[in-house]
Amino acid sequence: MATTLPSSRTVDAPRGVAIALRGVAIGYNGEAIIEEIDLDIHQGEIFFIGGGSGSGKTTLLASLITLRQPLRGSIVLDGIEVVGADEDALSAVRRRFGMMYQLGALFGGMTLLENVRIPLEEFTTLSNDAMDGVAHAKLGLVGLAAHAHKLPSEISGGMQKRAAIARALALDPSIIFLDEPSAGLDPVTSADLDALIVALNHMLGTTFVVISHELASIYSIGHRLAMLDGARKRLVALGSPAELREHSPDPWVRRFLTRTASASQGAA
Amino acid sequence: MTDAAPQARAEVRVGVRGDQLSIAIEGALVLETVGAVYESLAAPLRRAPRGVALDLSGVTRLDASGVAIPVHLFRYTKAAGGTFALSGVSGERQLLIDLALRGQDPGPRKAPPGAVRVVGAWAGDIWTILTDLLRFSGEVSIIALQIVRRPRLLRWKDTVAAVARHGADAVPVVGLLGLLVGAIIAFQTYDPMAKYGAKLQVADVVAVSIVRELGPLITAIILAGRSGSAFAAEIGTMKVTQELDALRTFGLDPVRFLVVPRMLATLLVTPLLSVYASILGVLGGFLVLGPKGITFMQYALEVRAALTIGGYMQGLGKAAVFALLVSGIGCLAGLRTGQGPSAVGRAATRAVVAGIVAIVVADSVLGSFFYTLGI
Repeated sequence: MATTLPSSRTVDAPRGVAIALRGVAIGYNGEAIIEEIDLDIHQGEIFFIGGGSGSGKTTLLASLITLRQPLRGSIVLDGIEVVGADEDALSAVRRRFGMMYQLGALFGGMTLLENVRIPLEEFTTLSNDAMDGVAHAKLGLVGLAAHAHKLPSEISGGMQKRAAIARALALDPSIIFLDEPSAGLDPVTSADLDALIVALNHMLGTTFVVISHELASIYSIGHRLAMLDGARKRLVALGSPAELREHSPDPWVRRFLTRTASASQGAA
Repeated sequence: MTDAAPQARAEVRVGVRGDQLSIAIEGALVLETVGAVYESLAAPLRRAPRGVALDLSGVTRLDASGVAIPVHLFRYTKAAGGTFALSGVSGERQLLIDLALRGQDPGPRKAPPGAVRVVGAWAGDIWTILTDLLRFSGEVSIIALQIVRRPRLLRWKDTVAAVARHGADAVPVVGLLGLLVGAIIAFQTYDPMAKYGAKLQVADVVAVSIVRELGPLITAIILAGRSGSAFAAEIGTMKVTQELDALRTFGLDPVRFLVVPRMLATLLVTPLLSVYASILGVLGGFLVLGPKGITFMQYALEVRAALTIGGYMQGLGKAAVFALLVSGIGCLAGLRTGQGPSAVGRAATRAVVAGIVAIVVADSVLGSFFYTLGI
């Protein structure tokens, strides 16, 4: 018995630019929060976007996931320009990435298995059994196979975030965005989540773009970090987290990355 | 997933030896091919093999969806009590599959429950609901008695606000429905009664049915839709967002703090709204009979003759009972809300449905009761 089947994407794709930003300005009502963002996020990278509260991290994320158009500039996501694209084009682009929201945003009335099945039902022609199998596999990858038939309200906050990652993985996207994955988690659960991100990044080659100011996570799993400063309305640092902490010429960046209070820096 | 990605292929080879199945997959085991691989495995698995050996040495690409195949075969053999052996993977692929297989347990296949078990479960549910209702009624009664002795215990401000929201705000809709129902009854009864020369007695029909029965019923049904659901949603949301827990940790009883003001407000406004609905219903009847040649004075005298104090009090009494039922059920549904945002919607639905059923059941019981008493 032999079956020959068509397919497309590979996980072993050569590393290139996953997301490219050129001259991007983000903000509200025509007023920029951050301007002139020039940035390349590479395929297979765990890339952190950090900055203080109100520095525009979440607004930038909203532009990257195509939910909010930037004020100016160009964002090329997986080879496709998303600034100014029409809704059909954006819809197609959105299937190429997965998103984990800060609170998981799982559908409360559905089991974890049904949550993971939703994108498969909408965007694939898999049989019912195959969809169940793929959803079980994704839940297994995040360590939730035994909880497939539970509702989100029946599991812990950390498990909800892992389930949200399983749902983000449903269509095997090349990029996954994570918004504050460690927020509200204890250090051990947070470290477990970090380990999961590293494992998926290694095994699947998935690019992870993580919005966070959790320094422990940034240092332990981040390949590179971009720092936004709302006061100067600029992207003020880009590089390896450890390198920026030790050698950044910008005192604000060093202070941020060493968790030093403003007053002590002033005194020094 | 990019347009330029090369076309991948997957081949499934299946060998059968006794009750052992050997499966070899070659090519790309990815999201796009996994559905067809599933189909290829369906027929061999129908032979119910005791053991499955999967060889993935020929797989050139594997993604997280492709892992569904070893997971599927693992779960299949585990459910059947057979054995599963995997070969041809190493390094990160092995890690990926091991990760996905963790905790995969389809569990024993459950037989559908028998009729006795289903009836037993229903009886258990009904018993739980009845005891819950009894406990809640007891709690409310005890707090009401405490408030009678110490009126300061009542949240007067919340009660007044609830009177405005669930009483004054409901005036337009209750009035409109009362007017229209009165007119409809007059329309439907005029022709048959006119045949027997009893045109004026249509006023009796309108007055008795509206004041004794339909005025309170319309008011209560609107109350169930407007206020019962609102009580369930408000209190349910407070439960989901842990505001009820916050009240308890302050030493405040949610029943005294949230339920009693709402029930009292509903108890105060429902009889008034019912009287209002009844007045407009009777006027609605005249809107139909007036153009048929019956003067307002004739109509008013006929209505007055048809109504008794007993009938009037019957309407008021029913309205009060309906108010307690609808508000109590709405608040109880809110207090018993489950977890998650959809639970609030379910609580609101339960409040409306149970409220309307309770109104109709209570109306039948009270109707029979008053009829037996000759009121």
